[in-house]
Amino acid sequence: MFSNLENAAKKRSVHVAVLLLAIALLIQACASSPETAPTPAEVTERQGVLRVAMQPIVQLDPAFISSDPEVIVANSIYDYLVDVTPQNTIAPRLAREWTVSEDGKTYVLTLVENATFHDGTLFTADDVVWTFNRLRDPDVDSPTKNLYSNIENIEATGKFEVTFTLIESNPFFLFDLSDNHALVLKADTPVPGSDFNGTGPFKIASYSPEDRLVVKANEDYFDPERPKLEGVEFIFFNDQVAQVEALRGGQVDLVMLLSADLFNTLIGEQGIIPLEAATNSFDVVRLRADRPPGDDPRLMQALRLATDRQAIFDLVLQGYGAIGRDNPIGPMYSQYYSEDTSLPERNVAAARALLAEAGFPDGINLELHTPDTANRPNLAVVLKDQWAEADINVEVFVEPESVYYGNNGWLVVDLGITGWGSRPYPQFYLDTMLTCGAIWNESHFCDSELDRLAKIAGTTMNEEERVEAYNQIQTMLIERGPILVPYFFSQLGAISEKFTDFQMKPFPGRSDLSQVRLAAQ
Amino acid sequence: MTTGQRSTDLSLGTATSWWRRLLLFARRLFSSPTSAIGATITLLFILVAILGPFIAPYGANEIIASDARQPPSSTHWFGTDNLGRDVFSRVLLGAGEILLLAGLGTLLAVIAGTLLGLLAGYRGGIFDEVIMRVFDSLLALPALLLALLLLGTVGRSQNSVLIVIFVVYTPIVARVVRSVVLAVKSQGFVEAARLIGESQAYILLREIMPSVLPTLSVESALRFSYAIFLVASLGFLGVGVQPPSPNWGLMVKEARTYASQIPWAIIFPAAAISIVVIGINLLADGMKRVLQATGNE
Repeated sequence: MFSNLENAAKKRSVHVAVLLLAIALLIQACASSPETAPTPAEVTERQGVLRVAMQPIVQLDPAFISSDPEVIVANSIYDYLVDVTPQNTIAPRLAREWTVSEDGKTYVLTLVENATFHDGTLFTADDVVWTFNRLRDPDVDSPTKNLYSNIENIEATGKFEVTFTLIESNPFFLFDLSDNHALVLKADTPVPGSDFNGTGPFKIASYSPEDRLVVKANEDYFDPERPKLEGVEFIFFNDQVAQVEALRGGQVDLVMLLSADLFNTLIGEQGIIPLEAATNSFDVVRLRADRPPGDDPRLMQALRLATDRQAIFDLVLQGYGAIGRDNPIGPMYSQYYSEDTSLPERNVAAARALLAEAGFPDGINLELHTPDTANRPNLAVVLKDQWAEADINVEVFVEPESVYYGNNGWLVVDLGITGWGSRPYPQFYLDTMLTCGAIWNESHFCDSELDRLAKIAGTTMNEEERVEAYNQIQTMLIERGPILVPYFFSQLGAISEKFTDFQMKPFPGRSDLSQVRLAAQ
Repeated sequence: MTTGQRSTDLSLGTATSWWRRLLLFARRLFSSPTSAIGATITLLFILVAILGPFIAPYGANEIIASDARQPPSSTHWFGTDNLGRDVFSRVLLGAGEILLLAGLGTLLAVIAGTLLGLLAGYRGGIFDEVIMRVFDSLLALPALLLALLLLGTVGRSQNSVLIVIFVVYTPIVARVVRSVVLAVKSQGFVEAARLIGESQAYILLREIMPSVLPTLSVESALRFSYAIFLVASLGFLGVGVQPPSPNWGLMVKEARTYASQIPWAIIFPAAAISIVVIGINLLADGMKRVLQATGNE
């Protein structure tokens, strides 16, 4: 009656079960075994290959890149006009200096004169004009088309001088010029992104999709001091645990975008330097404000009252970051950040009362959608627990990012958690997330007062006026906004001590690899 | 002898002999140490699944913020996980969910598989061909792949996991049952029943089914252990039940990122999966041995 096949299968299943236990023990044993750091050799100019572990890249055209890995690759091969320093100041790159007219509408940039593309042609103002015209072209439909819709004209006013004329004054325009997508391509590139023809510090050596992308130093870089490495290998991993194990095992030298849990495992590890960068990155818990049940702002207030921010900060972030105040202006923007309006303390009874007033005396059931990345699933689980006390019962749906963001599903769901990357100035969040009809207005919020204040803050050349507008916006969002911002998280990473001079930026993909060099012994 | 009398006699006789047979079966099962261990483990886990909600010291999703990441102690026997949830309680409460999902899924698959297997084996012909070719095509896909495919289409929830177990295991059960039916249906007593003019349902259930039962019970136990594994695997891959459910596979997945820091959060759920699967397999082994011995007598 019993075939051999079944017997074999049954035995196999016992074996698999035993194996699983063994693997669990092994993972834990490996994780705690000490590593010895190899000794670096004598350091001279342009030495060493940095191996970076990261998620695979998909998009190669700079006008459409979005993830950190895509940006870090593009940032190695191409150049921005200007860079933003970790201190949120503007640093020159292809533009070596600039002047701004008093009305804030005319920006004249003087470019470096010795930059060449990797194919040998000279970089000139025409390339800048072509690149930015493309970025604002509605037919190209790059995510930057709204950002640059304020540009009236871009003109090459000299072989190495470009003049941007704006419709309305924009005090942040230099930051906008350093948008992640604004990498300068050669004029009239037929298929942007396909030939990797940039002016950047590294040249493409090989690209094998879903495996690795290798670049080598650009010997003709306009700054002869850089890059300091022989080359960089971007090695693709889908799994973060595997990235960290590869760092431990010495197969890679740099990992970024780590969760706090994984980061903690690397602290004290021999030969590895942990990296922490304060950022304005945050997770937004938002409720659609344009349809029931979220169209009653009392529901959002109830969610806020039922949330214990300190517990979330301790459990989910383990202290790496700052507690949020339900608006996108975080403590990193020291000149704009305000704590004048106090956040309500957690009060479950008050949350219940508000819920009853909003027409849900017996509590409410909601679906909470979240991508499966970083701390978001943990945040969802903790919120579920905290809210349950106020009879707000959520069913958590953890989805791969491709599903969460795919087909713009994230803009449709009522209750969701979305991660927002760090930007050098806060106006971006208002203009894309919170003003009426904004491109990523996921909460479908629309408030004329907010629009008015955001407009003032984004156009005035008077700094005091701007500070005041941002203060009012913060108060308004705390009092009646559609979003809950539980925290701002630090970016965490780790690098092998064989390398030095790596400075991780708030948007890790924008970290400058051309400065990195082998550490002296 | 009238039909009425005969059925009364039979039912009386069945009641006592069933009880006797069950006792005999249990005694024989516990006579071998391995199958005794298997049976004990299985019973223990079923007990835990039933009593879990009453004996678990904390709720499955109860977050004790001040006690996050604690090693095993007298207050938290298995320690606490990264969010401050009691691992002991989660493992206990997870038993109910995983055994219920796997058990219910297996039960449905066994019922459907048995019915289809009996019919296909007994009737043969075009009915047999169609059913078996459809099942063959399902069996051609690895179980996990088929499960992932199904979850992709029906969405993720406990019910979808149930559907997955049902769809993945029905063909296998049907195949096993059909093979037994094919061996039995040409034997004299079946022929005799057919000649007397008994209905198809009577022949299938009263004449053929008793021969199928031993194989079926072993097969069911095996399917059950596979189903537990499948539920845990789907949880581990993050496509089955959703957090914060105390699914053991999901717990292993969640604990994987901090395994070196709080190993107890991964070891206990992983051990639970291993032990229960090993236990049920040992039990199935023992059942097979006992039933074969009974059959040979």
